[in-house]
Amino acid sequence: MQNKLSKAPVNKVMSLKEAVTTFVQDGAYLGFGGIGDRTPTAAVHEVARQGKKHLRLVSDTSVSFVHDSILIGLGLVDKFEIAYNWGGIWGSDGVYRRALEKGIPHPIEIEEYSNLSMGMRFLAASMGLSFMPVKSLLGSDIPVQNPNIKIIDDPYTGEPVALVPAAHLDVAFIHVQRCDQIGNAQILGHMGDDDSLARAADHVIITTEEIVPSEEIRRFPNLTAIPYYCVDAVVQVPFGSHGRGCSYYYAMDVPYGNQVGAAWATQAGFDRWAEEWIYGVEDWNGYCSKLGWERLLRLARAEQRYQKFGEVR
Amino acid sequence: MTSNIKYASDYSLMELMAATMAREFRDMETAFVGIGPPLIAAMVAKFTDAPNMTIAVEGGAVGSSPRRLLTCIADSTIDERAYACLPMWRLFSDQQRGFFDVGLIGAAQIDKYGNLNTTALGGYPRCQVRVAGSGGGNDIGSSVGRLLIMMRQEKRRFVERVDYLTTPGFLDGGDSRQKAGLLGGGPSAVITDMGVFRFDPQTREMYLAACHPGLEADTIKYNVSFDLKIASDVSVTEAPTQEQVDIMRALDPFGLYLGTGRSAMADPEKGFDFYMEILDKSYETMETLFSKMGK
Repeated sequence: MQNKLSKAPVNKVMSLKEAVTTFVQDGAYLGFGGIGDRTPTAAVHEVARQGKKHLRLVSDTSVSFVHDSILIGLGLVDKFEIAYNWGGIWGSDGVYRRALEKGIPHPIEIEEYSNLSMGMRFLAASMGLSFMPVKSLLGSDIPVQNPNIKIIDDPYTGEPVALVPAAHLDVAFIHVQRCDQIGNAQILGHMGDDDSLARAADHVIITTEEIVPSEEIRRFPNLTAIPYYCVDAVVQVPFGSHGRGCSYYYAMDVPYGNQVGAAWATQAGFDRWAEEWIYGVEDWNGYCSKLGWERLLRLARAEQRYQKFGEVR
Repeated sequence: MTSNIKYASDYSLMELMAATMAREFRDMETAFVGIGPPLIAAMVAKFTDAPNMTIAVEGGAVGSSPRRLLTCIADSTIDERAYACLPMWRLFSDQQRGFFDVGLIGAAQIDKYGNLNTTALGGYPRCQVRVAGSGGGNDIGSSVGRLLIMMRQEKRRFVERVDYLTTPGFLDGGDSRQKAGLLGGGPSAVITDMGVFRFDPQTREMYLAACHPGLEADTIKYNVSFDLKIASDVSVTEAPTQEQVDIMRALDPFGLYLGTGRSAMADPEKGFDFYMEILDKSYETMETLFSKMGK
């Protein structure tokens, strides 16, 4: 028998502080959505600020520093399930390297997949299934090192096929461009696996650039990647994925990433960075003020010169 | 025909590598392109010999036509003027189904059967050097029609057997790839800063097919840890054309991929203005490029 999962169509707007306090416990199984774009940076910072610990994190591709690595560097993570974690154009990820090469700040357990097989884990959970089959992983060391992947003979064809287990998360954080007060979340640009991730989690916290009226959502219902019944909390966080970009809203801040990368080259440098940018401010608004609103507006202008919602420029 | 081509006289090794890789793409193909310099090589192909090639990237965007440098496989640049933005699992499933003709990825280490390591060097899970992990690499290597690989040539990167097999090439050679149940065709070419490598159709072992200008086959062999076979008709890589070099410099004027742009951007004083300048200039430059090709 299933537990009731649906959330009511009521006003769910709250602060990020309240959302994290309410839904995230120590030891929680968390997923931060977005792939490169729409990274829920503000949510990561808040989880860090509240010092939630013994976390189990799952992501497909975390192609930025301002995602899972922050929590790993702060020693808040026990287990990390991942396909790809690196800085991309920002450079190599000092925090991740220290964690896996030297066990600094403490050793973490790692469980690896590929992007498709991780997506299949979210898809399985989102369908109420316990696994999905995939034709990746075969012949590689990924299943050799990860006993949760089973290679079997396909019962229909007799050919080898890999099975990956569903990822049933406690909480998913997803940053979107537009959402209404009850939680209908619309995603613009590439999706990553966020539609599945939301359905794979017991609780979903949406951070959004804008809160729009439900009438506006109803004008473009195909854009609703996550319907309200999946969603527990709606938090308006403009520039909430700074560092990375937010398609049609603002461009990635490449120099910021390069500077963070340089700061994270040592653990002491990372600690100083976290002290300054996470613990040294009250909330995301404080972070934006510290960074400078002018810089953020220039990133918005840069993106919107090329594309804005509904317009190619 | 050849006499009409204007070759560049001044180019870097990275530019040669990207230009050579660009020639591996064919028009009308669907291409799955990974993060880093592969994005530059694919864009060069699109602006030269393969204007109707569709580029897809892991984030889920298909057929984007950006007027700025593709900085990532998942940022707003890859959404710009895309045909479609799909869920990531859906795009990879399209590949598993057989919709992608060619894939291009990088690697930290490769072995003689074209197996790739993008996970860890020297042990696992505790390792001497940790890198990013599979991402979509394993999926692309498993299921794409033919796999192209672009990487730096070093003895420790070209090994008998990869420390960790992230992405399947031809596994143990022969028909072992097929026996493992993999759907895609496997590696087709490896292009480094020294030469072009291909694979024997029977043994599936890598061999040196072409040396970059000015390099002897023995020099390249010295930069490989296994006993590298050399083609009897080993050739010299064609130099980049002036057009290819012009496109790379228009796409990446500050050498973010192919030069020293990354350290310039990390400058806390000037880095941000420098980045804004790139985005400002890119629009006109790229509009000009697109209009030249009638798009």
